[in-house]
Amino acid sequence: MARKMLVDEEMTQTNQEEAHYDFDLFVIGAGSGGVRAARFSANFGAKVGICELPFHPISSEVIGGVGGTCVIRGCVPKKILVYGAAFGGELEDARNYGWELNEKLDFNWKKLLHKKTDEIIRLNGIYKRLLSNAGVKLFEGEGKIVGPNEVEVTQLDGTKLSYSAKHILIATGSRAHRPAIPGQELGITSDEALSLEDLPKRAVIFGGGYIAVEFASIWRGLGAEVDLFFRRELPLRGFDDEMRAVVARNLEARGINLHPQTNLTELIKTDNGIKVITDHGEELIADIVLFATGRLPNSKRLNLEAVGVELDNTGAVKVDEYSRTNVPSIWAVGDVTNRMNLTPVALMEGTCFAKTVFGGESCKPDYSNIPCAVFSIPPLSLVGLSEEQAIEQANSDVLVFTSTFNPMRNTISGRQEKTVMKLVVDAGTDKVLGASMCGPDAPEIMQGIAVALKCGATKAQFDSTIGIHPSAAEEFVTMRSVSRRITVSGKPKQNL
Amino acid sequence: MATTFTAPKLSSPTFQTLCRNLPVFVPIPNTLSSFSRHRHRHHHRLQLQQRQRRRLFVVRAESGNGSEPLRHYDFDLFTIGAGSGGVRASRFAANFGASVAVCELPFSTISSETTGGVGGTCVLRGCVPKKLMVYASKYSHEFDESNGFGWKYDTEPKHDWSTLMANKNAELHRLTGIYKNILGNAGVTLIEGRGKIVDPHTVDVDGKLYTARHILISVGGRPFIPDIPGSEYAIDSDAALDLPSKPEKVAIVGGGYIALEFAGIFKGLQSEVHVFIRQKKVLRGFDEEIRDFVGEQMSLRGIKFHIEESPQAIVKSADGSLSLKTNKGTIEGFSHIMFATGRRPNTKNLGLESVGVKMNKNGAIEVDEYSRTSVPSIWAVGDVTDRINLTPVALMEGGALAKTLFQNEPTKPDYGAVPSAVFSQPPIGQVGLTEEQAVKEYGDIDVYTANFRPLKATLSGLPDRVFMKLIVCAKTSKVLGLHMCGDDSAEITQGFAVAIKAGLTKADFDATVGIHPTSAEEFVTMRTPTRKIRQSPESEGKMGHEAKAAAGV
Repeated sequence: MARKMLVDEEMTQTNQEEAHYDFDLFVIGAGSGGVRAARFSANFGAKVGICELPFHPISSEVIGGVGGTCVIRGCVPKKILVYGAAFGGELEDARNYGWELNEKLDFNWKKLLHKKTDEIIRLNGIYKRLLSNAGVKLFEGEGKIVGPNEVEVTQLDGTKLSYSAKHILIATGSRAHRPAIPGQELGITSDEALSLEDLPKRAVIFGGGYIAVEFASIWRGLGAEVDLFFRRELPLRGFDDEMRAVVARNLEARGINLHPQTNLTELIKTDNGIKVITDHGEELIADIVLFATGRLPNSKRLNLEAVGVELDNTGAVKVDEYSRTNVPSIWAVGDVTNRMNLTPVALMEGTCFAKTVFGGESCKPDYSNIPCAVFSIPPLSLVGLSEEQAIEQANSDVLVFTSTFNPMRNTISGRQEKTVMKLVVDAGTDKVLGASMCGPDAPEIMQGIAVALKCGATKAQFDSTIGIHPSAAEEFVTMRSVSRRITVSGKPKQNL
Repeated sequence: MATTFTAPKLSSPTFQTLCRNLPVFVPIPNTLSSFSRHRHRHHHRLQLQQRQRRRLFVVRAESGNGSEPLRHYDFDLFTIGAGSGGVRASRFAANFGASVAVCELPFSTISSETTGGVGGTCVLRGCVPKKLMVYASKYSHEFDESNGFGWKYDTEPKHDWSTLMANKNAELHRLTGIYKNILGNAGVTLIEGRGKIVDPHTVDVDGKLYTARHILISVGGRPFIPDIPGSEYAIDSDAALDLPSKPEKVAIVGGGYIALEFAGIFKGLQSEVHVFIRQKKVLRGFDEEIRDFVGEQMSLRGIKFHIEESPQAIVKSADGSLSLKTNKGTIEGFSHIMFATGRRPNTKNLGLESVGVKMNKNGAIEVDEYSRTSVPSIWAVGDVTDRINLTPVALMEGGALAKTLFQNEPTKPDYGAVPSAVFSQPPIGQVGLTEEQAVKEYGDIDVYTANFRPLKATLSGLPDRVFMKLIVCAKTSKVLGLHMCGDDSAEITQGFAVAIKAGLTKADFDATVGIHPTSAEEFVTMRTPTRKIRQSPESEGKMGHEAKAAAGV
């Protein structure tokens, strides 16, 4: 019990009148949502413990790392690779600006990989320090729930620790999933794709979501031959249709081979690579096959059935608006609940949880107007409703404003790639319902627009804002003429 | 509501499409324009007169103000100067049904009393060529960055100056052509020559007289070089944008945005750059912390700042190199000395004195809130009025004027929360008040700052940082000002400008979810004030300490 005493010493502000719980809060999983909830709860005076699997860039049932998907296997390493890959196009663009570069540019994948790993190790350390500075006790090992107020942590050496907690928070995130096709073991997921020893020369990607599109851009930017297979007509299902088409066009223009409405049916190992077979009977050979076909919640090994925590049919933990499961002392935030799987949303859920449980302030996460970005090259970013959603939900006519233009940089570089921007407006209230952009700096540009939308800004307020000249972003405040008007009663009229 | 539906037709999409969509300029045949809904506007006298007669009738009927004497004018509006403000006002006026002419000097990349060009400063000698040069020069930083991401260059990338100049000038020619087409398509008569006001309703263009119901002066400004010995050896920003060869070693005199932008451009294009500023800091008028930060970052990129050092004379040596003599000594060996010491309104030789248009002591035309001068039929917009000298502001003023004059909708330009950018390297974006202004105006404010190393820099290993700042009214929680220096500042600031213009509060910023991983998300995740400034002196220090302690968590 020396361990427990140490904890008690660290935490001076424990609630002594409470029954004998070792912790006020025990968090399983130290990713974005878990770390945020743990830190904020500790700051509210709670005694907090958190457990996480040992660190490794590639996750499994028994490997993870403080920082979670975002820091170790998601946003951060992905963005680093996107930066690296984007130079490919930028350097080409430099020539028309008068820069004399060698015909063939040299790129060292191992160097980038190594620096990326250094960076995530550094961040992993920072996260650990954040926890300890907040007074949160970190355990390395696999957490399981053994009772409504009881957690068991299996440490690396196999020894088991058992703690009682007034509240338990499940924040175990999710993992990439592979489709059940013959030879699927030959493929990889995004975890491995972020840590490949060698840069593939021929890459096949299966999936049309943002992960698929981002890796297509990364590998293509670094010079690989990339074939992207997806089930729908366009990639990025759920996003604004017009913008999906723009992304598809840009990917193709950057040299990615798109195979819409195509499934992979089998992978076969051959001497010169993996033979990929599609449902159209096509065959091609690849060095790497990436499955970007979705992610599943990490809820299997938590022993949730035993305590009666309900899951939905995808395995996601069911929670109410305050992130509480059907067991009152057990809560869940982040990807494991499969609400909106974004780091900043997990942060919001973690914050609200801490406020609700330890801050004396009921707080529901607000899922409206959450901006997001796809870091394809060039990137896509949006906030609010797509045109299709707006039409579906509309009470009055929907006005669509679009702007398609050649970014100024391209006038000299000669790159043939348009930036597209779009505002969807409620004709009745003049409220801007949705904004989207595909083009350089889109995610950076969209953040401020998101503040405006969050607060119900009207088109008139956009119009009254002066532009910053010359920028791409100024187009958002100078869209004066409506591209099309969709009447609620009539059929959507698309002049595409 | 009528405006919402009329305005769209007039405005920029055509312009943008033309301006940005066509990588190669496709001239629009003249015959096409006669088929357009706009009226044919060739210079045939007869057609012109017929049209004017009809037009005058319409205007008179619309105005409904019987007090004005009936008089025949050649045009409803005559605009002198086809830059941002003039073109906007002319196009919009024509679209509202007015007959409009605009005169402009012949095209040249360097402006003078006799040269200018359709498009004006922004397109030919300002925003556009400057930004193109910024793009070109930024690559050297990108090469350095890319090293950290695994890219390698067998030989150091070299820059060929003439390729850049040729491609830049081709683009400027394309744009001036597009501007001419925009005017033509709107039915505006373009007259090449120097306009001079003869009386309240008459403009003389190189000896030819034109009468107009309203005259608009939109002649802009020009760089100003102080009169010191040897100033004839100095160049201004016009020349700096069109140098025939790479400047090896440049002195830039001035600490304003133009000086900083050119310092970045020349440094990036591999020149040795020295900046001489009169004060201790660059960018007078900007937020103090931004001034410190940008100076630091630019120094880290190899620009040498000489503070509190004013030029006194330029001496040309036998070898052709230039020496700059200052209050602190003499620095030799410059290939170029550029003065970025301010701009002055182009109000000389316009005939303003004789018709009684009042000017201030800088030569700027004095106007009322509707851009009207002291002569009721004469109006002025843009840099010539020296209000806020920015292209989008001139556009706003021009648009407002057209509405006031020809749509029976008196419109004042709104100068609240005008965002702006400095395309230094790293760039700056800002909107609203500086901390100093906010304290003065509101007294009690909370200041939130972030100073961080962006993700890109952690990999590149370069000392680049980002600085962000929010200034919040303590009483109302309204966000009064937003400032940023770092990559993408200009692009990032625009959206926030909408929020600040709409009067949003800090709570609204906090309620917005971040876009991860971006730099911009920092603006919506600033939870703890860096300092609280209060009018009552005893709370000031204490609050500040508490805030700092809390920020560590």
